[in-house]
Amino acid sequence: MSGGLEPIPNPISQPYWDGTSERELHLRECHACGARFRFIRELCPKCWSTDLGIFRSSGQGRIAARVIVHTAPYPAMAERVPYVLALVELEEGVTMMSNIVECDPNLVEVGQRVTLTWEERGDFVLPQFRPA
Amino acid sequence: MSADVAIAGCFELKPGRYPEFSPHDLYREVAKQALKHWDLKPTDVDGLLSAPSGMTAGATDALSHEKLVAELGLRIPFSETISAGGATFTIMVLRAAAAIRDGLANSVLCIGTGKFVKQGKGAGEQVARMCSEADYEMPYGPFIPALYGLIASQFMAERGAKPEDLARVAVSARRWALRNPMALMHDAGEITVEEVLASRIVADPFHYLDCSIPTDGGGAVLVTRADIARELCPQPAYVLGYGEFHGHASLSEAGPNLIDTGAIKTSADAFRRAGLTHADIDIAQLYDAFSATPLILLENIGFCPPGTAGQFVQSGATDPGGSLPMNTGGGLLSFGHTGEASGMSVLLEGVRQVMNQAGAHQVDKADTALVHVYGGMMYEHATIILGRSA
Repeated sequence: MSGGLEPIPNPISQPYWDGTSERELHLRECHACGARFRFIRELCPKCWSTDLGIFRSSGQGRIAARVIVHTAPYPAMAERVPYVLALVELEEGVTMMSNIVECDPNLVEVGQRVTLTWEERGDFVLPQFRPA
Repeated sequence: MSADVAIAGCFELKPGRYPEFSPHDLYREVAKQALKHWDLKPTDVDGLLSAPSGMTAGATDALSHEKLVAELGLRIPFSETISAGGATFTIMVLRAAAAIRDGLANSVLCIGTGKFVKQGKGAGEQVARMCSEADYEMPYGPFIPALYGLIASQFMAERGAKPEDLARVAVSARRWALRNPMALMHDAGEITVEEVLASRIVADPFHYLDCSIPTDGGGAVLVTRADIARELCPQPAYVLGYGEFHGHASLSEAGPNLIDTGAIKTSADAFRRAGLTHADIDIAQLYDAFSATPLILLENIGFCPPGTAGQFVQSGATDPGGSLPMNTGGGLLSFGHTGEASGMSVLLEGVRQVMNQAGAHQVDKADTALVHVYGGMMYEHATIILGRSA
């Protein structure tokens, strides 16, 4: 599949993209209070500790929200319609955005179980989800 | 305890296209027309709040207040450019009220305009970037209708709302627009649930008629000490209660607030400050960029229990003649959505009803109005309760 915008990493998200290049989905864990979150901040959102660790997600989750797009909203998505935009809640309790791929977009519903897959896009390896 | 702050004047441009006006020109034009409409002199205004101009037209001026103050010949102690998306103009009223109570100002002009460029090849990606994470969300192709669609899909799955219920919100808004000569859809006739569901899908679950109509426009309110308001107009809109909430800035971070939004907290704060309950509210203005959001807000604010907003609108409760007239000017769905100034339209409709200035579409019983607005994809929220008696 082609098209789609490339991520724009920053120093905080770079470890995440280093992980995806090895086909690993990394998340943050606070050693002080146990909160789990994405690589978007350097302070724990619950307790502001900077004592943070990394763990690898199992890649299993469920669809928390989904929308089926039939008309490309901008040129970068022209080759990908119809596509599903979704929020996936990972079993570790962290939510992330994704497409739902390798299926009929019209059959994707909230609540369905999904599993991690990968898409090569330019210099990046992008996490995607497919029906489990 | 009686209200010490009120809205003493309201003004809105007829929504439509104003190609001859740049974003800043539109600010100048609204200021000129509002001040003339209210018959004010420079000595009558000692505060000015505006929003960044040009955001949805692609070139933002984040210091619009400085230019307006200068152009109006003012030398004043209170002025700022405030940026909070659709929540901006209600938050302006709260900031003006705080300044008035503090003695910083007595009479604050709050003004907002917008030119909502039609979603074409460039604008969609640009606007999506304002509401989405550059690294973790943009690669998946988000855009405004799709982001709202995510929220709606979870609301429908968890709270049982159906496509027919979303469509019924659009039907209700259109009924109000037919009574409002300023609304874009005033002459467009009624729509039915079937017609909404048959209109082209934009992003499932939204059809074309589930979406608001981009346009240009703007308006202003004058927020003053209550005693000054009584000198300036026959029926002020007193600020009885309010609440404000700020939290996530992307849907990936929303968590449970995706459908249990900040509106739960802001409305509870507003009712508490006002010493009122839901039964005291005559009319509601609930930000409706898409048909799903009034359903979510009706439940979050507590006008109906969770899982029942669909039944509520299907019963006609929000229509003309219903028990809770909602979006009485036609809403963003049928009045028009002026981009970054849309929150001003929602506020203004509540204000003009309470001030008894809605003319042809004046609701008979509009003693107390609740206005709820939010910025971004339901990220930051504000509720305000306005009334005819202090």
